[in-house]
Amino acid sequence: MHETRSFRLGVAGPVGTGKSSLIATVCRELADELRLGVITNDIYTDEDARLLRSAGVLDPDRIRAVETGACPHTAIRDDVTPNLIAVEDLERDFAPLDVVLVESGGDNLTATFSPALVDAQIFVLDVAGGGDVARKGGPGIARADLLIVNKTDLAPYVGVDVEQMVKDASEARDGKPVIALSRTDPASVAELTEWVRTMTAHVRTGGHTPVDPGPMAPHSHVGEDGTLITHVHSH
Amino acid sequence: MSTAELVALMLTDGRLPTGGHTQSAGLEPAVRAGLGADGKQLADVTTYARDRLHTVTRVEAAVAVLARYITHSHQSEGLRLVEGAWAARTSSQVLRGVSRRQGRAYLRLAGRVWPEVLEHLQADSEVPRPIVIGVIGAVTGLSAEQVARIIAYDDVQSVVSASLKLLPVDPAEAATWLAGLHDDIEELVADVSPLTDIEKIPANGAPLIDQFAQNHATERMRLFHA
Repeated sequence: MHETRSFRLGVAGPVGTGKSSLIATVCRELADELRLGVITNDIYTDEDARLLRSAGVLDPDRIRAVETGACPHTAIRDDVTPNLIAVEDLERDFAPLDVVLVESGGDNLTATFSPALVDAQIFVLDVAGGGDVARKGGPGIARADLLIVNKTDLAPYVGVDVEQMVKDASEARDGKPVIALSRTDPASVAELTEWVRTMTAHVRTGGHTPVDPGPMAPHSHVGEDGTLITHVHSH
Repeated sequence: MSTAELVALMLTDGRLPTGGHTQSAGLEPAVRAGLGADGKQLADVTTYARDRLHTVTRVEAAVAVLARYITHSHQSEGLRLVEGAWAARTSSQVLRGVSRRQGRAYLRLAGRVWPEVLEHLQADSEVPRPIVIGVIGAVTGLSAEQVARIIAYDDVQSVVSASLKLLPVDPAEAATWLAGLHDDIEELVADVSPLTDIEKIPANGAPLIDQFAQNHATERMRLFHA
């Protein structure tokens, strides 16, 4: 990996599930041990960037907003150019960075990052969106590197069985990790930060191959020799 | 076999990954300043696109034509002179920045698709967009007319397609506006495509467009980069 190249971590998921808040949590917990940067893709430019800046968890200059022309899906998938330029500029201006978090604008269940933009991605759901969402599946739910079931502290108020929701999600994911998260639950926050820490080390040593969750199976990833491998998993 | 016609189609296709979805050709700040009168005066969109063809877009197309011509004539310092002429005619610092950012996106793609471009322009540099388009045109065999038409068409299409997101516009109506501007586009093409002298690049300006762009850069609520 090029010396100024960071681990690029995407955060996607529907509107209002807590992507910005998750990024703020990661920054708050890890800013002392990892050199972090953030790119936001809000529909109206800088709302998320402002939220993160005002959270005071990271040097405001390390949080940049990219316009998406009201096309958040395009910005992380079909045409990643503006985001890639923003990531590379951030890496250059604050070199070396360990992790750049790229926050997708809130979209629907089908939006996932192109492997041309990020090395790994987190997909965020929340209990308030309904307990059956995880069971409905979709590329992000089934194949993102990490699935978050967020706001578990709200479960009693919205009538959702968190355990069942996590079980549904795990079944849809073929063993890939799921974390039931609440920012008021330190153990779950520790689980999240440990995943980020481990993944960062894994990517840094070249042990990680970006996998495209894809719009649907079959999906593709780049093999060791650089060729594109497309296949259908058995799950 | 690649043909100039196909390259020209690629370069005007909004699906080409060059960040076109982030651009409104200044329409968003213009709408914020009252263009379209909250949807009660939609014909303003066509007038705005036409005004651009007569001013800023004319300059941009001429710059692209000269960049193509200079690249063909192997004057290595020539592109710098074209860039200077462009900068002198693009008085808004914000708009110069926007064009350089877009140029970088095009150059990034061109370096992959038409690598010969990198014999004339430094990879990943912030070169104004019309210069990158002109150089792509030179290495792919586009005519001066095609290069000018790409700039003009793309500008009108940016305005018209952004109007769908900014105003209550029927998409079929928007396409009709676009077709209605064909004569203006071809007039521009005929005017600027014969240019071979940097000093003859027109210097038409649109101060309000500059002012809107400056305002937009500090605007909090933005759909489009510019």
